[in-house]
Amino acid sequence: MDFKLTEEQELIRKNMREFCEKYVDPIAAEIDEQARFPKEVFEKLGAGDWMGIPVPTKYGGAGSSYLTHIVAVEELSRSCAASGFTLSIHVGIVEMLLLLYGTEDQKQKYLPPLARGEELGAFVLTEPGAGTDVMAAQTEITRDGDDYVINGTKTFTSNGPNAGVYIVFGWTDKSAGRKGMSAFIVPKGTPGMRVGEHFQKMGIRASQTSEMIFENCRIPKDNLLGKEGDGLAIAMTGLDHGRIGIAAQSVGILQAALDESIKYSKQRIQFGAPISRNQAIAWMIADMATDLAAARFLTYHAAWLKDEGKPFSREASMAKLFAAEAAMKHTIKAVQIQGGYGYCKGAKVERLMRDAKITEIYEGTSEAQRMVISGSLLR
Amino acid sequence: MLHIIACCKWVIDEVYIKRGRGEEIDFSSVDWKISDYDRHALEEAVRIKDSLGGKVTVLTVGAENAVKGMKDMLSRGADEGCLIKDESFARLDPAVTADIIAHAVKSRLSPYDLIFFGDGSSDLYARQVGPRVAAKLGISCLTGVRKIAFKDGYVEAERSLEREIEIVQAPLPVAITVLPEINTPRIPGVKDTLLASRKPVLNLSSCDFPDYTVPAVRTVAIKAVRLDRGCVFFENNAGGISSLVEELKKKGILS
Ligand SMILES: Cc1cc2nc3c(=O)[nH]c(=O)nc-3n(C[C@H](O)[C@H](O)[C@H](O)COP(=O)(O)OP(=O)(O)OC[C@H]3O[C@@H](n4cnc5c(N)ncnc54)[C@H](O)[C@@H]3O)c2cc1C
Repeated sequence: MDFKLTEEQELIRKNMREFCEKYVDPIAAEIDEQARFPKEVFEKLGAGDWMGIPVPTKYGGAGSSYLTHIVAVEELSRSCAASGFTLSIHVGIVEMLLLLYGTEDQKQKYLPPLARGEELGAFVLTEPGAGTDVMAAQTEITRDGDDYVINGTKTFTSNGPNAGVYIVFGWTDKSAGRKGMSAFIVPKGTPGMRVGEHFQKMGIRASQTSEMIFENCRIPKDNLLGKEGDGLAIAMTGLDHGRIGIAAQSVGILQAALDESIKYSKQRIQFGAPISRNQAIAWMIADMATDLAAARFLTYHAAWLKDEGKPFSREASMAKLFAAEAAMKHTIKAVQIQGGYGYCKGAKVERLMRDAKITEIYEGTSEAQRMVISGSLLR
Repeated sequence: MLHIIACCKWVIDEVYIKRGRGEEIDFSSVDWKISDYDRHALEEAVRIKDSLGGKVTVLTVGAENAVKGMKDMLSRGADEGCLIKDESFARLDPAVTADIIAHAVKSRLSPYDLIFFGDGSSDLYARQVGPRVAAKLGISCLTGVRKIAFKDGYVEAERSLEREIEIVQAPLPVAITVLPEINTPRIPGVKDTLLASRKPVLNLSSCDFPDYTVPAVRTVAIKAVRLDRGCVFFENNAGGISSLVEELKKKGILS
């Protein structure tokens, strides 16, 4: 058994930390407040090959492992959970799906600009009536000669307003049930696709989320990702990968909560001593550090399984479930440790607590993860 | 074609050093880094190469863990490495380090045009290695440099002195120790780090330096000190001043 990252991965983590200290920490509170997507940060991430770590170099990526990408997501999330999530969905879902299901032509066309960070990716699955219940989707995609035509309304699309490449799911044959959905690559600017309502969110406010509306959106058949009928399997594979990213995002949030809690509790004096001297506070920190370690191991293990080519769907769900719930639980404690100061804007823990909540919801709620895990055990 | 050598030290990152029990220092969970000023030295070497052409060799002397340090250094734009490692090189004094570097440069890395150093290391800050190497190689040494320009066959450098900026010129080859204001070091991209291990490294060990000098300085112990603040306040008047003087006398600071 080997619990070590490689020297390269350690250096990459350190470089990401330095990147964050220089470019992300100074603006993290402001982009949260203004709900602004930090384009300038992502341009720099693109230039430093952070936007395509597991993508082979021939498609413009860095040619490293999924675990390396996960370490980058964790470290970025520690400074800005919204940006960590943007990186996760871009690489972990969109690029991975293109790599796994794309034709050679599709990979050559779409991966390089994504890997260089010139375009952002979006994963367009959820609908107003179809969240956890993906099969309740209404979007219809009909064949018309050499084209397909998409009609439907999608919601909660991360990067919706600012992506360049959208992977869109809908029914090509509703009567075929689980084999009736298909996935398509829709580039930005395709007539018939437009951005609907923008959502104002509690947390990860520096990530843009919107509706996506498709009205007779016509795309050539070359944009079919995988085969007709593969849509549901593609969506689930995307989520399996993405969930490790959300787990990493949660680990980053937890690490930040721990850092803040240690720092604050050693400085804050009440009753003539630092509050960290109270067992009540010290034990909160002990529990936080313990869950952080557990969450990190689950996350890295899931990524390692993926890199080893082994099945990892259940482990990805376990990592996401545990890390997300730990992030929520302990960011509440981190606010508690800072008392009234922690409840006010300007305290990082206030943002961490709001950001943590989403990790229990997207890419499958905690309930959905429990369904996946128990389903795989009780089959 | 210029051959530029940048010397970097792999040091303990001081933010990880904790106080242990009593006067002990806890090094148990430290991480390592390239000494701060040395990063500027390497960056300057690479920038000069990028604008004038040539080759950068990054050199480090250290213990076993300097292997990782070498990867970090190579990810910052150097073309080749020279890794001089030995368990006995963990805590060298600056005179010995300089001996080893000068020997390696003379015997393995010549010809060369420029050798860059940080003005001082993050751990010892003795500011000796650069000038000592230059003396051993018999070349000029410009210390405390904050800007460099290339003229025909010589370099012109701005040295930051206590009260003034001195502009000096020196023929090549020359040793230069840099201050942090000379540049902003890059943050390596992912590919830079991944490609670092594929760059050629010349590996040397203590056997390659049969007669390096015996250390002049022996480290007996490293202890933590505690700075206790008295927080005594004095009135801003004649009485206050005389009680301040009294207090300082009591502490033996004034006599
Ligand atoms: C900020 C944000 C970003 C998002 N980004 C994307 C994106 O990029 N792409 C995308 O496609 N989607 C995205 N989503 C959608 C997200 O994945 C869904 O919100 C999520 O899957 C839950 O669906 P829902 O909101 O419709 O909740 P519902 O499915 O309606 O669930 C409501 C509640 O009921 C529970 N529940 C539902 N079914 C069951 C069951 N069978 N058993 C037990 N409990 C159940 C759920 O766990 C939850 O607690 C995003 C959402 C948000 C808020």
